[in-house]
Amino acid sequence: MSYAYLFKYIIIGDTGVGKSCLLLQFTDKRFQPVHDLTIGVEFGARMITIDNKPIKLQIWDTAGQESFRSITRSYYRGAAGALLVYDITRRETFNHLASWLEDARQHANANMTVMLIGNKCDLSHRRAVSYEEGEQFAKEHGLVFMEASAKTAQNVEEAFIKTAGTIYKKIQDGVFDVSNESYGIKVGYAVPNASGGGAGSSSQGGGCCG
Amino acid sequence: MRREEASAAAAAAEAGTPRSPDLHDLSDDSDYAAAAAASSSHSAMRSDLVDQGSGETAKVDVVYEKERVTIHPTQYGSGRISGKLRLYLQQGSLFLSWEPNEGVDSLSSNSATMEIEKYRNLYTIKALPLSDVRFIRKHTPTFGFEYIIIVLSSGLAFPPFYFYNGGLRELFATLKKHVFIIRSDDDPNVFLVNDFQDPLQKSLSSLELPGVATVANAMSRQNSLSFTSSVDEARHGSDAKHGASSSMTEYVSKQKHRSNDPGRDLSIQVLEKFSLVTKFARDTTSSLFRENHSSGGHTYGRQQQEYVLDNRANDKYKDQQITPDKDSLLSDSMESNKILAWGKPREQPLSVDEWRSFLDPEGRVMDSKALRKKVFYGGIDHVLRKEVWKFLLGYHEYDSTYAEREYLAVMKRTEYEAIKSQWKSISSTQAKRFTKFRERKGLIDKDVVRTDRSVPYYEGDDNQNVLVLRDILLTYSFYNFDLGYCQGMSDFLAPILYVMEDESESFWCFAILMERLGANFNRDQNGMHAQLLALSKLVELLDPQLHNYFRKNDCLNYFFCFRWVLIQFKREFSFDQIMLLWEVLWTHYWSEHFHLYLCVAILKRYRSRIIGEQMDFDTLLKFINELSGEINLDRAIQDAEALCDQAGPNGAACIPPGTPPSMPIETDGGLYVQEDEVM
Repeated sequence: MSYAYLFKYIIIGDTGVGKSCLLLQFTDKRFQPVHDLTIGVEFGARMITIDNKPIKLQIWDTAGQESFRSITRSYYRGAAGALLVYDITRRETFNHLASWLEDARQHANANMTVMLIGNKCDLSHRRAVSYEEGEQFAKEHGLVFMEASAKTAQNVEEAFIKTAGTIYKKIQDGVFDVSNESYGIKVGYAVPNASGGGAGSSSQGGGCCG
Repeated sequence: MRREEASAAAAAAEAGTPRSPDLHDLSDDSDYAAAAAASSSHSAMRSDLVDQGSGETAKVDVVYEKERVTIHPTQYGSGRISGKLRLYLQQGSLFLSWEPNEGVDSLSSNSATMEIEKYRNLYTIKALPLSDVRFIRKHTPTFGFEYIIIVLSSGLAFPPFYFYNGGLRELFATLKKHVFIIRSDDDPNVFLVNDFQDPLQKSLSSLELPGVATVANAMSRQNSLSFTSSVDEARHGSDAKHGASSSMTEYVSKQKHRSNDPGRDLSIQVLEKFSLVTKFARDTTSSLFRENHSSGGHTYGRQQQEYVLDNRANDKYKDQQITPDKDSLLSDSMESNKILAWGKPREQPLSVDEWRSFLDPEGRVMDSKALRKKVFYGGIDHVLRKEVWKFLLGYHEYDSTYAEREYLAVMKRTEYEAIKSQWKSISSTQAKRFTKFRERKGLIDKDVVRTDRSVPYYEGDDNQNVLVLRDILLTYSFYNFDLGYCQGMSDFLAPILYVMEDESESFWCFAILMERLGANFNRDQNGMHAQLLALSKLVELLDPQLHNYFRKNDCLNYFFCFRWVLIQFKREFSFDQIMLLWEVLWTHYWSEHFHLYLCVAILKRYRSRIIGEQMDFDTLLKFINELSGEINLDRAIQDAEALCDQAGPNGAACIPPGTPPSMPIETDGGLYVQEDEVM
């Protein structure tokens, strides 16, 4: 399938906050409580539409274990967007956000769009971090904020699409030089009626295909 | 240059003096290669003298000599063996020799020297009379190096000799001075040598090779020509001048047939079949040589020289002896390729009867090396894993008895319960003041329910085996409090518990495995970085082109192999396959680091796609991830064996001491020195 743009996303955060479940809900629209823990990285992809243009999101779901960070940092390179995830029922995952954000700022491009996600909002009876605390952290660090639930699918779609919209706007505003793939954006050929067409890449600078 | 070098060689031969100074000056090889070649040359001369019998000094007149004449015994580029090719006159006859560059290490012990000498005798062409040669085929490809294939009257063919430093024209020019050599009418690249006799025709007929008629006809036609057979007469008779002129004309003319000649294609087929026959004959000769322990006379069969000279080398030779049916070997080239693959074919698993035969009446393993070899090539029947894994992992000593092992199990169970009680006895009140414990317990609780739940042994809610998994990991985090728990450990423990079906024995097998692999889980990941660095060096050694590709595409950190190495391919194969792979790895039969050669083998298997599709780091990582479940395990193990053999001690040198799973090197601070941020 062809696309106008491909955006590289990374999902980061402590282990067990629900990164893989968020990805699965977004790509497959299902919740799977039992799945293998992530070692290294796993991949997901999905097509969305912005301004009638097909956008492919390639999503990197990273291992959350602290000791793997020296490896997983290498995956941040060239990401256009990041989902920074904590678990609203475990305060320590919220407390570690600053460390994750610092890693992301250091190892990804400066204009990466970061969305803060407070996951498991369906477990209100076990809440350990208030909505206001999450909102405040996001505001202080210039992030977009949402609470979501991978289980109930609440705000999952919105989280990814809103981030993509922000990235798309940056392209339109010229913040991203799309000819430079280190921003995590690949330009493709939008051929609406192509069947089995290859996803080519264009070297045109600043151009917008389609 | 040529005459000067030949003259120097002749002078050295006459004087019986090594020529290392001259060789060093003339050679563009490295010092090591030059020294090795000099040593080889000296050895060859001594051998020649011995061949002539005691008391008699032989006059050897070297008329042609060339360095960097190379053979490719394996499909891998790194398997090339470079050597020196010579033509020399002795007692009026012309001989050809080829000797590999590796020389005898004068510092080796006597037994090692004898071993090396034996293999070199198998491998080297010391004195091949040109009168035994039927024809020589020359090949000048558009790209790559020129090479020749020498076919004997007996029908045997040596492997192609590649001339890395050129010199092929001089070779043929020299041959023409001393023997009759005529270009074939059917194939301008085939040069017929000497007269043609029935033995070759009979050999060709018995092989039932396609195109035999064409070759036979050509030879038959040449038979009708009258040439003086005597070299001496040719050199001194009045016809010599005419003969020389004729050869020169033929040489200068450089005829080339542009048309598509079916005879040419058939000739190539014949040579390919000869190459297959050569492999068969080579192994047979190797076998005969071992049986006869003969080190004299002419040895035409050759075997790649062994780098690792220990008992295993002998075992490998025996195992690699191939005696397929000749007809089936030649009738199906695909089947032939399969039979003649360098990595040994996989075998049946260790059976109950075989296992019993390894044990003495009191239960000791009498030949642990033979057992490990059996497991390496075939794995273990599942009903035996519970018992045999304890030996492979080192929990049981090979020379322990049944009684000792029963006693050990009782003692170890008591010890396990004591360690387990350390965390079992922590009350909830105390846990509130024990942050590290709560953190670890939280991680383990979360991870065991995410480990192998699709395996029936661990599926479903409230599965007791999942609880046992948790208890063992918690107990280990106290047994090795410094290392604690890290993700990936449950991936190692799950198959062990499945096999052992016993909490205590699973714990001890896991703990022993972590003695070797614990560094994979160090907070600073130093064990992982060491292995990935070693992997990088192995790829550089075994596939320089692929290595250069990774370098240009910013992939030299080999992070795309991280998951492979961390949990030794656990996510890449099925649960059943991983048990087989791990027992193969745990034999340490070829190397403690066989898993790294497995990485290289898989990367090489897919190199054409990696390079062809110009994968960058992101694409490569995704591609490697998606190979999960797609890798042919048996073929990968065979490929890895071939690579491990090919790399030899150079491969071992790429892997620093202490690289996991080698036992870690002790430091002053103990096994694992790392800062503990919380404590």
